[in-house]
Amino acid sequence: MAIVKAKKTATRPAPLSETTFIGWLHKNLFNSWTNTILTFVSLYIIYVTVTGLWVWGISEAVWVAKDRRECFAISIDGACWAGVISWLDNIFYGRYPRAELWRVNLGGLILILWMAPLWLPRVKHKVFIGLSTVFIYPFLAGYLFVGGEKDVFMQLMIAAAIVCLAGNTLHAIVGVFSGRSLPEYLIRLLGMEEASEANRRNTLLTSLAVALVVVFVAQMGWTIKEVPWTKWGGLFLTLVISGIGIATALPGGIVLALGRRSKLPVIRVLSMSFIELFRSVPLITVLFMATTMFPLFMPEGFVLNKLVQVIIAVCLFSACYMAETVRAGLQAIPTGQYEAAHTLGLGYWGTMNLVVMPQALKLMIPNIVGSFIGLLKDTTLVSIIGLFDILGMLRSISQDVPWRGLQREPLFFGAILFFIICFIMSKYSRHLEAKLSAGDQR
Amino acid sequence: MAASDAGKADKASARIKPKKRFNFFHDERVRSVLYQLLTACTVGWVAWYLITNTAHNLEVRGMNAGFGFLTTAAGFDMDFTLIEYVPGRGTYGRIFLIGCLNTLFVSVLAIIGSTIFGFFVGVLRLSSNWLVARLALAYVEIFRNTPLLMQVIFWYVAVFSVLPKVKNSLDLSGGAAVVFLNNRGLYSAWPVPGEFFWMTIVALVVAVVGVFILRYWARKRQDDTGQPFPTFIASVALLILLPGTVYLLTGSPLAWDIPTLQGFNFVGGSNLPPAFLALLVALIFYHAAHLAESVRAGILSVNIGQTDAALAIGLRPSRMMTLVIIPQAMRAIVPPMISLWMNVVKNSSLAIAIGYSDLVALFMQTALNQAGYAVEIVGMTMAFYMFISLSISGLLNIYNKRVQLVER
Repeated sequence: MAIVKAKKTATRPAPLSETTFIGWLHKNLFNSWTNTILTFVSLYIIYVTVTGLWVWGISEAVWVAKDRRECFAISIDGACWAGVISWLDNIFYGRYPRAELWRVNLGGLILILWMAPLWLPRVKHKVFIGLSTVFIYPFLAGYLFVGGEKDVFMQLMIAAAIVCLAGNTLHAIVGVFSGRSLPEYLIRLLGMEEASEANRRNTLLTSLAVALVVVFVAQMGWTIKEVPWTKWGGLFLTLVISGIGIATALPGGIVLALGRRSKLPVIRVLSMSFIELFRSVPLITVLFMATTMFPLFMPEGFVLNKLVQVIIAVCLFSACYMAETVRAGLQAIPTGQYEAAHTLGLGYWGTMNLVVMPQALKLMIPNIVGSFIGLLKDTTLVSIIGLFDILGMLRSISQDVPWRGLQREPLFFGAILFFIICFIMSKYSRHLEAKLSAGDQR
Repeated sequence: MAASDAGKADKASARIKPKKRFNFFHDERVRSVLYQLLTACTVGWVAWYLITNTAHNLEVRGMNAGFGFLTTAAGFDMDFTLIEYVPGRGTYGRIFLIGCLNTLFVSVLAIIGSTIFGFFVGVLRLSSNWLVARLALAYVEIFRNTPLLMQVIFWYVAVFSVLPKVKNSLDLSGGAAVVFLNNRGLYSAWPVPGEFFWMTIVALVVAVVGVFILRYWARKRQDDTGQPFPTFIASVALLILLPGTVYLLTGSPLAWDIPTLQGFNFVGGSNLPPAFLALLVALIFYHAAHLAESVRAGILSVNIGQTDAALAIGLRPSRMMTLVIIPQAMRAIVPPMISLWMNVVKNSSLAIAIGYSDLVALFMQTALNQAGYAVEIVGMTMAFYMFISLSISGLLNIYNKRVQLVER
């Protein structure tokens, strides 16, 4: 009674609901009465929003005009983008002298050049590149932005930064083409592969010293005009404040988080109260404290300018927030990891640097990037205490005589700008998370 | 052969034998005391340095110190207050109180609004309807990726300041003429309790107590007999019927103060200024977007096996949600939600950008400019926020403890 099929049954095509567009519509948009209603409500919302924005922002908008009155004369319903366009330089650079804008641009370009190797495969020693960005780049950028007379220390740091930048770039090029680091390549070039360790090290150090001296002598005659901080503004100022905040947040946060988890009661209590103090109050009160109380804290006759006060406040604030993020990462590391590290004979710092921190930071990447985004957004608060950051600039358009009362368009433009920056950052962090956790997935 | 091996072993153990001598700086206890002493001294020195500098600077500048100013009268006025205040007679202490109340008022409303709206959007994010899910995603991404301050200002200058003038007010009550919206804010009817209104309040309290007793009894009955009791419907009925009956029996002792247009402005009713509305709406939309993500993550964090198990033991989908999925999702949702509430209170300080009289704008800015006393005013403001934050995080700790008991 066995049933045997002599012929193979032909494969049937996938059901229509899986392959056709109509099938997809049916499954995802119209699979029940409520969903059908919801779909039409959503379509209506999208229609109203998109047509409203299209008419206001694009089809009826005015792109070229002398002043707001002319905008109104051309179109009463549309946006007056002409005002934003004529203020673009202010929005990006504030009142930085127009002849000196290249310095800001150059500073930004150098930062990109400096950090680009971090994303190139085959380049070695990325930790050094990252550290040099935090500790050496600021001197060069600081001088580019501020200018003026340099003292000897500043000259030395600038020379070091230039050498570092050149070395970094060469290192990246060598790395991409040969997969070697710059020192290895130099040794090969000089034919010293067989020489002793000490010999090779001395050669490298000598060439470094020669480069430093040459650059130091070369930059001695180079001075640029001083630009006072009061002229800084716009997106540039926002990025400077949040950039410094971000660069100090991670090291500061790690120190505070380790302090909070320390076994030593004095250190633990101090770190905890510091973190809780700054985390439980709004940033604006910290900024007010900085501007009203820092002058009282300083010895008589020592004046801290407002920008420095604000930057200190932002750094303290962001370090405390980062501390909690790092602490969450540390708590997620199982005790077995600590015990394994101790078994291997590692001390406290060895355990932290080699075993715990790398895992904790990797685990916390989305949260760390999240707090960077939060910091970037929070930096707009400095406009309340009178700095002309990007929001301050956007709001002062409405006080400019030809564009009096123009408020909606600048804010809209600023929102789009922030959205692009923050959205890219958060998407990149997701990508990074997926890439780094690839090893954990089986 | 064996003897030489033993000799070698002896030598080796002698080589790695720890030194007997006590090394002072390599002892863990000594080092820990030393480190702590060093830290305490450094922090103490910095604190002492800052305090002496401050005292010296205050003296040099002839600035006063102390909390005596709290009982002196302030001369300035504010646009919104919940308690009575007369400029020129009200004290700085009263201004501090008004600021605290205004901050709490907007925060509490924003917390309620953003929690409800955030849950709603979070559920929409998981909708099986592709379009609705995408729309919710777009909302979340847009509101999370732009600065809150920018949103607050946008709502203020682009929405609530360009509403119609008083004469052409929008009637939000649909022709009943009890709620008006215009560029001076929201005017609405306000209840004025009559003589016997307290009876209705008492009835409401009794009803709330009754609901708790009912829930306790229903649970006990279900434990004993397995018979479920429709607690929800019974509770709602009790809450509406008991106070309602008392209200009607005492002769509806509640009058409404209705805003009426007199001259150039409305008289009567309650008025919420545009700055308040803008701040409230901005806080709700911003934090709801954040909460929606937590809600979504919380629901997704419940293992799919739980759904299968619930269906396998024969629960209806609605019972499955209320008895299995939501209680477990709440464990993941509540901690971020409570820290979000904390953020709402802190972010309400952005009121200063649009001129709503919250604690920072009223006390830390205006009062500080008028009276000086920087150290005291900054300290009091920070202390208020710290008090609120610590209370909320205390709440979180209690909740976490309860949840941990549920886990094994």
